[in-house]
Amino acid sequence: MNDGKTAWRNIRIFASLVLIGAVMAPIFLSDASWPVTARDYLMAQGQAESGAVNLVSAIYLGYRAFDTLGETIVLLIAVTGTLSLLARVESLVSPGPEDTSSPNAKGFSLSLEKRVSHALRTNLLEEVTGKVGPIVLLFGFYVMLYGHLSPGGGFQGGVIIASGIVFLALGNPYEDKSVLVRPAILGGMENIAFLLFILSAMSGVFLGEGFFGNPLAVSGTPEGFIILMNCIIGMKVGSSLAFMCIVMMGGANHD
Amino acid sequence: MTILLLTLIILLAVFALFSSDLLHGVVAMSAISLSCAILFYILEAPDVAITEAAVGAGVSTVIFVWALRHSQRKDDRHE
Repeated sequence: MNDGKTAWRNIRIFASLVLIGAVMAPIFLSDASWPVTARDYLMAQGQAESGAVNLVSAIYLGYRAFDTLGETIVLLIAVTGTLSLLARVESLVSPGPEDTSSPNAKGFSLSLEKRVSHALRTNLLEEVTGKVGPIVLLFGFYVMLYGHLSPGGGFQGGVIIASGIVFLALGNPYEDKSVLVRPAILGGMENIAFLLFILSAMSGVFLGEGFFGNPLAVSGTPEGFIILMNCIIGMKVGSSLAFMCIVMMGGANHD
Repeated sequence: MTILLLTLIILLAVFALFSSDLLHGVVAMSAISLSCAILFYILEAPDVAITEAAVGAGVSTVIFVWALRHSQRKDDRHE
Protein backbone atom coordinates (compact mmCIF):
# COMPACT_ATOMS: atom_id res chain seq x y z
CA MET A 1 0.00 0.00 0.00
CA ASN A 2 2.68 2.44 1.03
CA ASP A 3 4.95 1.41 -1.81
CA GLY A 4 2.14 1.87 -4.27
CA LYS A 5 1.55 5.37 -2.97
CA THR A 6 5.24 6.25 -3.31
CA ALA A 7 5.40 4.86 -6.83
CA TRP A 8 2.30 6.81 -7.82
CA ARG A 9 3.87 9.97 -6.37
CA ASN A 10 7.07 9.40 -8.32
CA ILE A 11 5.11 8.78 -11.51
CA ARG A 12 3.26 12.05 -11.02
CA ILE A 13 6.49 13.97 -10.40
CA PHE A 14 8.14 12.55 -13.49
CA ALA A 15 5.04 13.24 -15.58
CA SER A 16 5.05 16.85 -14.49
CA LEU A 17 8.76 17.13 -15.30
CA VAL A 18 8.13 15.76 -18.79
CA LEU A 19 5.25 18.21 -19.26
CA ILE A 20 7.41 21.14 -18.15
CA GLY A 21 10.07 20.00 -20.62
CA ALA A 22 7.50 19.85 -23.39
CA VAL A 23 6.39 23.39 -22.61
CA MET A 24 9.93 24.76 -22.42
CA ALA A 25 11.34 22.90 -25.43
CA PRO A 26 10.15 25.36 -28.13
CA ILE A 27 11.93 28.18 -26.29
CA PHE A 28 15.25 26.36 -26.41
CA LEU A 29 14.82 24.94 -29.90
CA SER A 30 13.64 28.05 -31.72
CA ASP A 31 15.96 30.02 -33.96
CA ALA A 32 14.07 33.31 -33.85
CA SER A 33 16.33 36.28 -33.20
CA TRP A 34 15.85 38.43 -30.16
CA PRO A 35 13.86 41.65 -30.58
CA VAL A 36 16.38 44.46 -30.72
CA THR A 37 14.38 47.65 -31.27
CA ALA A 38 13.85 48.59 -27.64
CA ARG A 39 17.35 47.47 -26.69
CA ASP A 40 19.01 49.60 -29.34
CA TYR A 41 16.88 52.61 -28.48
CA LEU A 42 17.71 52.30 -24.78
CA MET A 43 21.40 51.84 -25.44
CA ALA A 44 21.46 54.95 -27.61
CA GLN A 45 19.07 57.28 -25.79
CA GLY A 46 18.51 55.93 -22.28
CA GLN A 47 21.43 57.56 -20.54
CA ALA A 48 20.83 60.97 -22.08
CA GLU A 49 17.09 60.90 -21.38
CA SER A 50 17.13 59.62 -17.81
CA GLY A 51 20.59 60.62 -16.64
CA ALA A 52 21.19 57.18 -15.12
CA VAL A 53 24.35 55.26 -15.95
CA ASN A 54 22.71 52.10 -14.66
CA LEU A 55 20.11 51.54 -17.37
CA VAL A 56 18.19 49.00 -15.29
CA SER A 57 17.11 51.68 -12.84
CA ALA A 58 16.39 54.02 -15.74
CA ILE A 59 13.97 51.42 -17.07
CA TYR A 60 12.19 50.44 -13.88
CA LEU A 61 11.80 53.99 -12.59
CA GLY A 62 11.46 55.81 -15.88
CA TYR A 63 10.21 53.88 -18.87
CA ARG A 64 8.39 51.12 -17.00
CA ALA A 65 7.47 52.88 -13.76
CA PHE A 66 3.95 51.47 -13.78
CA ASP A 67 5.46 48.02 -13.20
CA THR A 68 7.22 49.39 -10.15
CA LEU A 69 3.92 50.71 -8.81
CA GLY A 70 2.45 47.25 -9.30
CA GLU A 71 5.37 45.63 -7.51
CA THR A 72 5.05 47.89 -4.49
CA ILE A 73 1.32 47.12 -4.34
CA VAL A 74 2.13 43.39 -4.49
CA LEU A 75 4.54 43.85 -1.59
CA LEU A 76 1.90 45.77 0.38
CA ILE A 77 -0.63 42.99 -0.18
CA ALA A 78 1.93 40.35 0.82
CA VAL A 79 2.66 42.12 4.10
CA THR A 80 -1.05 42.64 4.79
CA GLY A 81 -1.80 38.99 4.11
CA THR A 82 1.04 37.82 6.31
CA LEU A 83 -0.12 39.99 9.18
CA SER A 84 -3.73 38.87 8.93
CA LEU A 85 -2.64 35.22 8.79
CA LEU A 86 -0.37 35.75 11.80
CA ALA A 87 -3.13 37.43 13.77
CA ARG A 88 -5.46 34.51 13.08
CA VAL A 89 -3.14 31.61 13.79
CA GLU A 90 -1.27 33.25 16.64
CA SER A 91 -2.96 30.96 19.15
CA LEU A 92 -1.69 27.96 17.18
CA VAL A 93 1.83 29.08 16.42
CA SER A 94 2.93 30.31 19.82
CA PRO A 95 2.98 27.15 21.88
CA GLY A 96 5.28 26.64 24.79
CA PRO A 97 4.39 27.59 28.33
CA GLU A 98 7.39 29.86 28.75
CA ASP A 99 6.43 32.27 25.99
CA THR A 100 2.87 33.17 26.77
CA SER A 101 2.76 34.14 30.40
CA SER A 102 5.34 36.86 30.77
CA PRO A 103 5.13 40.47 29.63
CA ASN A 104 8.58 40.12 28.10
CA ALA A 105 7.22 38.06 25.22
CA LYS A 106 6.15 41.32 23.61
CA GLY A 107 9.43 42.23 21.97
CA PHE A 108 11.97 40.44 19.88
CA SER A 109 14.50 39.84 22.60
CA LEU A 110 14.11 37.47 25.45
CA SER A 111 15.00 38.45 28.96
CA LEU A 112 18.29 37.29 30.38
CA GLU A 113 17.17 34.25 32.33
CA LYS A 114 15.18 32.94 29.37
CA ARG A 115 17.93 33.42 26.88
CA VAL A 116 19.94 30.68 28.55
CA SER A 117 17.33 28.12 27.61
CA HIS A 118 16.60 29.49 24.18
CA ALA A 119 18.65 27.77 21.53
CA LEU A 120 18.37 30.51 18.92
CA ARG A 121 19.80 33.25 21.09
CA THR A 122 23.41 32.66 21.90
CA ASN A 123 26.11 35.07 22.93
CA LEU A 124 27.85 34.54 19.61
CA LEU A 125 24.77 35.46 17.58
CA GLU A 126 24.11 38.49 19.73
CA GLU A 127 27.62 39.89 19.55
CA VAL A 128 28.07 39.30 15.84
CA THR A 129 24.70 40.58 14.66
CA GLY A 130 24.83 43.59 16.94
CA LYS A 131 28.14 44.67 15.47
CA VAL A 132 27.49 43.69 11.86
CA GLY A 133 24.02 45.28 11.77
CA PRO A 134 25.09 48.95 11.36
CA ILE A 135 27.58 47.99 8.64
CA VAL A 136 24.91 46.08 6.73
CA LEU A 137 22.61 49.08 7.15
CA LEU A 138 25.27 51.40 5.73
CA PHE A 139 25.84 49.10 2.75
CA GLY A 140 22.10 49.04 2.13
CA PHE A 141 21.99 52.83 2.06
CA TYR A 142 24.92 52.84 -0.37
CA VAL A 143 23.21 50.40 -2.73
CA MET A 144 20.01 52.45 -2.49
CA LEU A 145 21.51 55.93 -2.98
CA TYR A 146 23.87 54.99 -5.80
CA GLY A 147 21.30 52.89 -7.66
CA HIS A 148 21.50 55.18 -10.69
CA LEU A 149 25.28 54.74 -11.03
CA SER A 150 26.14 51.24 -9.85
CA PRO A 151 24.24 47.94 -9.72
CA GLY A 152 21.47 48.09 -7.19
CA GLY A 153 18.56 50.37 -6.53
CA GLY A 154 15.58 50.76 -4.28
CA PHE A 155 14.48 47.15 -4.09
CA GLN A 156 17.94 45.69 -3.58
CA GLY A 157 18.98 48.35 -1.10
CA GLY A 158 15.67 47.98 0.71
CA VAL A 159 16.13 44.26 1.18
CA ILE A 160 19.66 44.80 2.51
CA ILE A 161 18.37 47.51 4.87
CA ALA A 162 15.69 45.10 6.08
CA SER A 163 18.27 42.45 6.91
CA GLY A 164 20.33 45.12 8.68
CA ILE A 165 17.33 46.04 10.81
CA VAL A 166 16.70 42.36 11.59
CA PHE A 167 20.36 42.05 12.60
CA LEU A 168 19.98 45.05 14.89
CA ALA A 169 16.92 43.46 16.45
CA LEU A 170 18.70 40.13 16.91
CA GLY A 171 21.80 41.70 18.43
CA ASN A 172 19.91 43.88 20.83
CA PRO A 173 19.93 42.35 24.29
CA TYR A 174 17.56 44.88 25.83
CA GLU A 175 13.99 45.70 25.00
CA ASP A 176 13.40 48.44 22.46
CA LYS A 177 16.88 49.88 22.63
CA SER A 178 16.73 51.05 19.04
CA VAL A 179 13.73 52.86 17.63
CA LEU A 180 14.21 51.12 14.27
CA VAL A 181 13.27 47.68 15.56
CA ARG A 182 9.87 48.73 16.92
CA PRO A 183 7.13 47.31 14.71
CA ALA A 184 4.87 50.35 15.15
CA ILE A 185 7.57 52.71 13.86
CA LEU A 186 8.33 50.41 10.92
CA GLY A 187 4.66 50.20 9.99
CA GLY A 188 4.36 53.97 10.08
CA MET A 189 7.47 54.31 7.92
CA GLU A 190 5.96 51.99 5.34
CA ASN A 191 2.71 53.97 5.20
CA ILE A 192 4.57 57.27 4.82
CA ALA A 193 6.79 55.80 2.11
CA PHE A 194 3.82 54.61 0.08
CA LEU A 195 2.16 58.04 0.38
CA LEU A 196 5.40 59.73 -0.72
CA PHE A 197 5.68 57.28 -3.62
CA ILE A 198 2.22 58.17 -4.94
CA LEU A 199 2.83 61.89 -4.40
CA SER A 200 6.14 61.89 -6.24
CA ALA A 201 4.63 59.78 -9.01
CA MET A 202 1.98 62.46 -9.43
CA SER A 203 4.46 65.33 -9.29
CA GLY A 204 5.13 65.09 -13.03
CA VAL A 205 1.47 65.74 -13.78
CA PHE A 206 1.73 69.39 -12.78
CA LEU A 207 4.69 69.95 -15.11
CA GLY A 208 3.04 68.40 -18.13
CA GLU A 209 4.95 65.13 -18.03
CA GLY A 210 2.09 62.84 -17.13
CA PHE A 211 1.69 60.25 -14.39
CA PHE A 212 5.12 58.89 -13.46
CA GLY A 213 6.67 61.43 -15.78
CA ASN A 214 10.02 62.83 -14.74
CA PRO A 215 9.42 66.37 -13.41
CA LEU A 216 13.13 67.14 -13.91
CA ALA A 217 13.17 65.92 -17.52
CA VAL A 218 13.91 69.31 -19.06
CA SER A 219 16.32 70.43 -16.37
CA GLY A 220 19.99 69.58 -16.39
CA THR A 221 19.78 66.83 -13.78
CA PRO A 222 17.12 64.31 -14.76
CA GLU A 223 18.69 61.66 -12.50
CA GLY A 224 17.40 63.49 -9.40
CA PHE A 225 13.98 61.92 -9.88
CA ILE A 226 15.50 58.44 -10.02
CA ILE A 227 17.47 59.06 -6.82
CA LEU A 228 14.31 60.29 -5.06
CA MET A 229 12.26 57.30 -6.19
CA ASN A 230 15.05 54.90 -5.23
CA CYS A 231 15.13 56.36 -1.72
CA ILE A 232 11.35 56.12 -1.32
CA ILE A 233 11.20 52.55 -2.64
CA GLY A 234 14.14 51.53 -0.46
CA MET A 235 12.42 52.97 2.60
CA LYS A 236 9.19 51.17 1.75
CA VAL A 237 10.75 47.78 0.95
CA GLY A 238 13.12 47.91 3.90
CA SER A 239 10.53 48.90 6.47
CA SER A 240 7.90 46.45 5.24
CA LEU A 241 10.23 43.44 5.06
CA ALA A 242 11.78 44.23 8.44
CA PHE A 243 8.28 44.76 9.85
CA MET A 244 7.20 41.34 8.57
CA CYS A 245 10.27 39.53 9.90
CA ILE A 246 10.20 41.19 13.31
CA VAL A 247 6.50 40.61 13.80
CA MET A 248 6.86 36.99 12.72
CA MET A 249 9.67 36.32 15.14
CA GLY A 250 8.40 38.43 18.01
CA GLY A 251 4.78 37.37 18.06
CA ALA A 252 1.67 39.24 17.03
CA ASN A 253 1.28 41.44 20.10
CA HIS A 254 3.40 44.05 18.45
CA ASP A 255 2.10 47.45 19.43
CA MET B 1 31.07 27.13 -15.44
CA THR B 2 27.54 27.97 -16.52
CA ILE B 3 26.83 24.33 -17.36
CA LEU B 4 28.24 23.29 -13.99
CA LEU B 5 26.04 25.75 -12.11
CA LEU B 6 22.94 24.76 -14.08
CA THR B 7 23.57 21.08 -13.38
CA LEU B 8 24.02 21.89 -9.69
CA ILE B 9 20.75 23.81 -9.66
CA ILE B 10 18.86 20.92 -11.28
CA LEU B 11 20.39 18.39 -8.87
CA LEU B 12 19.55 20.54 -5.86
CA ALA B 13 16.00 21.03 -7.13
CA VAL B 14 15.51 17.29 -7.51
CA PHE B 15 16.91 16.79 -4.02
CA ALA B 16 14.56 19.45 -2.61
CA LEU B 17 11.61 17.70 -4.24
CA PHE B 18 12.48 14.22 -3.02
CA SER B 19 13.92 14.89 0.44
CA SER B 20 11.68 13.65 3.20
CA ASP B 21 13.00 16.12 5.79
CA LEU B 22 11.57 19.55 5.07
CA LEU B 23 14.56 21.30 6.64
CA HIS B 24 16.89 19.63 4.13
CA GLY B 25 14.61 20.84 1.36
CA VAL B 26 14.75 24.40 2.67
CA VAL B 27 18.54 24.32 2.80
CA ALA B 28 18.64 22.92 -0.74
CA MET B 29 16.40 25.75 -1.94
CA SER B 30 18.67 28.28 -0.28
CA ALA B 31 21.62 26.70 -2.09
CA ILE B 32 19.67 26.93 -5.36
CA SER B 33 19.22 30.66 -4.78
CA LEU B 34 22.91 31.07 -4.06
CA SER B 35 23.91 29.23 -7.26
CA CYS B 36 21.39 31.32 -9.19
CA ALA B 37 22.96 34.48 -7.77
CA ILE B 38 26.42 33.36 -8.89
CA LEU B 39 24.99 32.47 -12.29
CA PHE B 40 23.36 35.90 -12.65
CA TYR B 41 26.63 37.54 -11.71
CA ILE B 42 28.52 35.52 -14.31
CA LEU B 43 25.91 36.49 -16.90
CA GLU B 44 26.54 40.17 -16.07
CA ALA B 45 23.32 40.96 -14.26
CA PRO B 46 24.61 42.11 -10.86
CA ASP B 47 21.32 43.82 -9.99
CA VAL B 48 19.44 40.57 -10.22
CA ALA B 49 22.25 38.77 -8.40
CA ILE B 50 21.98 41.10 -5.39
CA THR B 51 18.22 40.66 -5.26
CA GLU B 52 18.39 36.89 -5.65
CA ALA B 53 21.00 36.53 -2.93
CA ALA B 54 19.17 38.80 -0.50
CA VAL B 55 15.63 37.56 -1.09
CA GLY B 56 16.15 33.95 -2.12
CA ALA B 57 19.02 32.90 0.07
CA GLY B 58 18.29 35.25 2.96
CA VAL B 59 14.75 36.31 3.67
CA SER B 60 12.82 33.39 2.22
CA THR B 61 15.03 30.85 4.01
CA VAL B 62 14.46 32.64 7.30
CA ILE B 63 10.71 32.64 6.70
CA PHE B 64 10.66 28.94 5.74
CA VAL B 65 12.69 27.96 8.79
CA TRP B 66 10.42 30.06 10.98
CA ALA B 67 7.36 28.29 9.55
CA LEU B 68 9.02 24.89 10.07
CA ARG B 69 9.85 25.68 13.68
CA HIS B 70 6.24 26.50 14.41
CA SER B 71 4.74 23.50 12.66
CA GLN B 72 4.44 19.94 13.91
CA ARG B 73 6.36 17.12 12.33
CA LYS B 74 4.20 14.49 10.74
CA ASP B 75 5.68 11.59 8.86
CA ASP B 76 3.55 8.69 7.77
CA ARG B 77 6.52 6.47 6.97
CA HIS B 78 8.44 6.61 10.24
CA GLU B 79 5.51 6.47 12.58
